[in-house]
Amino acid sequence: MSHRYPALVTGAIAVTALGMGLAACSSGSSSSSSAPSSTASSASSASSAAGKTLELVVGTKSDDFYVTMECGAEAEASALGVHLTVTGPADFSAPEQAPILNAVAVSKPDALIVAPTDTKALNPELSRIAGEGVKIVFVDTTTDDPSIAVSHITSNNIGGGELAAQNLGQEIGGKGTVAVIDVNPGISTTDERIQGFDQEMKSKYPNIKVLPTQYDNDSTSTATSQVEGDISAHPNLSGVFATNVLSAEGAATGVQHAGYSGKVKVATFDADPQQMAALHSNTIQLAIAQSPYLEGQDGVEQAVDALTGKPVTANIGTPLVAITRQNMNDASTQQYVYKSSCS
Amino acid sequence: MTFTAGRPSGGPGTGSPIRRGYGIPRPGSETGARRLLARTLSAGETWVFAALVILMAVFTGWGGLKFLSADNLNLTAQTTAPFLLMAIGETFVILTAGIDLSVGFVLVLTGVVADKFFLENGGPNAGAGTIWLGVIIGLATGAVFGACQGVAVSKLKIPPLIATLMGLGVAEGLSYLITGGADFPSVPNKLVSVMLGSFVGIPWVIVISFLATLVFGLILAFTRFGRYTYAIGSSPEAAERAGINVDLHLIKVYTVAGFVSGLAGIMNLGYYNSTTISGHPLDNLTVITAVVIGGASLFGGRGTMLGTFIGVFIPELLMNGLNIVQVNQYWQYIITGLVLGAAVYMDQIRRRLRERA
Amino acid sequence: MTEQGHPPSTVTPLLEARNLVKHYGHVLALDGANFTAYPGEVVALIGDNGAGKSTLVKALSGAIRADSGQILVNGSPVSMSSPLDARRHGIETVYQDLALAPDLDAAANLHLGREIYRSRLFHILNKPEMRRRAVKAFADLGVELKDVTAPVVTLSGGQRQSVAVARAVAYASKIIFMDEPTAALGVVQRGRVLDNIRRVRDRGITVVLISHNMPEVLSVADRVEVLRMGHRVARFTASEATVEQLVGAMTGALTLEGPDEQAELDAAAAAAGGDGNASEDGRNQA
Repeated sequence: MSHRYPALVTGAIAVTALGMGLAACSSGSSSSSSAPSSTASSASSASSAAGKTLELVVGTKSDDFYVTMECGAEAEASALGVHLTVTGPADFSAPEQAPILNAVAVSKPDALIVAPTDTKALNPELSRIAGEGVKIVFVDTTTDDPSIAVSHITSNNIGGGELAAQNLGQEIGGKGTVAVIDVNPGISTTDERIQGFDQEMKSKYPNIKVLPTQYDNDSTSTATSQVEGDISAHPNLSGVFATNVLSAEGAATGVQHAGYSGKVKVATFDADPQQMAALHSNTIQLAIAQSPYLEGQDGVEQAVDALTGKPVTANIGTPLVAITRQNMNDASTQQYVYKSSCS
Repeated sequence: MTFTAGRPSGGPGTGSPIRRGYGIPRPGSETGARRLLARTLSAGETWVFAALVILMAVFTGWGGLKFLSADNLNLTAQTTAPFLLMAIGETFVILTAGIDLSVGFVLVLTGVVADKFFLENGGPNAGAGTIWLGVIIGLATGAVFGACQGVAVSKLKIPPLIATLMGLGVAEGLSYLITGGADFPSVPNKLVSVMLGSFVGIPWVIVISFLATLVFGLILAFTRFGRYTYAIGSSPEAAERAGINVDLHLIKVYTVAGFVSGLAGIMNLGYYNSTTISGHPLDNLTVITAVVIGGASLFGGRGTMLGTFIGVFIPELLMNGLNIVQVNQYWQYIITGLVLGAAVYMDQIRRRLRERA
Repeated sequence: MTEQGHPPSTVTPLLEARNLVKHYGHVLALDGANFTAYPGEVVALIGDNGAGKSTLVKALSGAIRADSGQILVNGSPVSMSSPLDARRHGIETVYQDLALAPDLDAAANLHLGREIYRSRLFHILNKPEMRRRAVKAFADLGVELKDVTAPVVTLSGGQRQSVAVARAVAYASKIIFMDEPTAALGVVQRGRVLDNIRRVRDRGITVVLISHNMPEVLSVADRVEVLRMGHRVARFTASEATVEQLVGAMTGALTLEGPDEQAELDAAAAAAGGDGNASEDGRNQA
């Protein structure tokens, strides 16, 4: 009968879906940790925290910054004996993060740790989650209504921008032209980095000309073409400041392609393995490392504190470290390098 | 060409019969019912609906009844709404054996154009009249954009893949040019509250998208416009020889696609309170996947709006289910890819089975 | 020269092509082609491969436009610039490739371009009425279709051809062109097609049959016109012709129309009130 085939195929789909589901379930998702650890960091919180469910929704699933944050969160979760799952959209996009947050509103973990991908687009989704009684902690980015979260943990981005300006200004001898490659205006973290950078440049290095900010939309290839263009257009370009991982990677590639490694100094935010390699080969001169691991840990800790009735800290600024070729091999800086996987 | 509903002097069924001794078998109630059952079983919609039911059963069993809760289905339908709208247009286009890769980017462009108008006419406090005007401007932008692609495909004979790939680039580029690379700072509050609000308890985004699906589905199934769409996808020569203006019809089809993407853009602008210029990079693939899963053939001539409606929800509910049971979402891409492959394979099988010497 | 294949010159031709020329790039498909069809007959148009038969049919049915020349319906020149023009003059065509939309059903194909509407607003289709009429149209031709609502690609070749023929018969008031209708059919089906052709003629509609099959041609046609290298080289009355003569005309071994004969025709036509035509077919070939 000609109707056999559709039945077979639909059956195959169902069996496959079931099979995969069971496989994923039994092998244990790599992004969840559950068993309470015997070495709890504080015995009293461990007993009342045990069994709580936390969910971490990052900004972009495959960004090393967020992967490192995941690692820190998981470490703290297993230390405290709570159950943590980690999800995130494929791109840093509000319409992509929204369905994930909607699922959170339905599955109702005890707490949500989230890096919002837009300052206002996700307010309805976040309100819904808060309305269900879920405690919310913001990591990295924030929204225009941070009161919805019990705590906001981020790098001292303004300070980081200032640090970048100090180092870069020194590197290029206090004069010349500098380009700035950013992601998109409207992202709280990168906006503050530029704010700090501009402030410090104006006050400490008035002879340095800072070009208008260029936006690459988190695309390395766009950053590369922008830097290459800057080099062609400004023969006395002496430095580039890139405000996040992907912009940094693109900027470094651009300088390299143009053959100006070492001549145009590149200061970047973030410190993923690729940037370490670029530091080593002198394609970039400065990587300002944030502490995503610490942000992940603090995020979980604050969430658990909120759940167990302990006092929370509304704003936490995690430290930044300036990594250069000189100090990149020190033990103290090594720990700040981002990971691409937690194992 | 105009036709009256009455009986003309010529045409089929009006001449004198030539008896040959062969009767026409009258369908008895038995054979009629059996035939109806057979046709239902072989209809693409039945199988994609079965796939949807299985999907929901699996996730309900695994994730619990909260998967089936009104809240969850409601929220999922809301985030699916713009995809449903874009899929309406994509259905028409794919039925003509074409393809439209520009959908997500036309969505962004129309939101950008409308918001630009709003920014210069009141910004967040724009009044209802301004908003209606801006909506019309946005919809017109989408429609005109679609029409241009239609002209490229029909008059300039550019293959749809290329024409809409070019359209994608132009729409994205224009969006970045107009906004200067960053989302606009504000969206009219009235528009946001409508898109986040409800109409007799049903969220507006669901009302708009479902209603649009119904209207265009009826057009596709019951009007000349729909029939010509199927005819052109099935055989452009047959349509041409039958006196159908194929070029004009193709332009209309792509205009429809641009229009509904524009509607999705207005909806997106209000719902997310932002132009989200970098937020829709792969919408086109999601939409095309949905239409093909729904039973439409990429070779044209076959598919229904009902199939598309069901097809749109499969990847969305799959993602939603995986999020709820907290399985790594990368499985979503794998499973969606498998379902898509199965749908295309089934189309091939049905094609082969029904062709006879 | 034998005088063959001419009805009394007082009968106005139903359809006439005069001196049609058509280029496809460098290729000259029609080289001053002539054709005549009279009311109430079956006239066969034959010729070797590449003689220009399909091109001539397309030009006469509005599917393509000739570069130059005249087309006359009932003696008056007409413009044939689209299939709609042809249909308006009561000319229908069953193309060799049938021109059916495979995914649409028989009823939809029958009414393609001529749909029946429930209401003119939005052109809402009246599908039950179209199906009803399709069933009747097929019955009229003795065609038996199990399911008028199945996509035509599921039908056999012969059934598909019946759909295409039924479509032409249903709408034609003057002429039906049939381009190689029996080419892909088996013996029994062929017989049926030839029966249908006779029936259509008996209903008063002229059938122009393009075919490669000489015996078939002679069995069903009243007259035969031969095309070679883009123009007419001979005309025969079927009852008086042999296969050898037909083949001879097709291949150029036998030439039957010369300038003298054409002058006769022109004079007769002028006497009957039509326009004369200076150049005609019948160039002598070796």
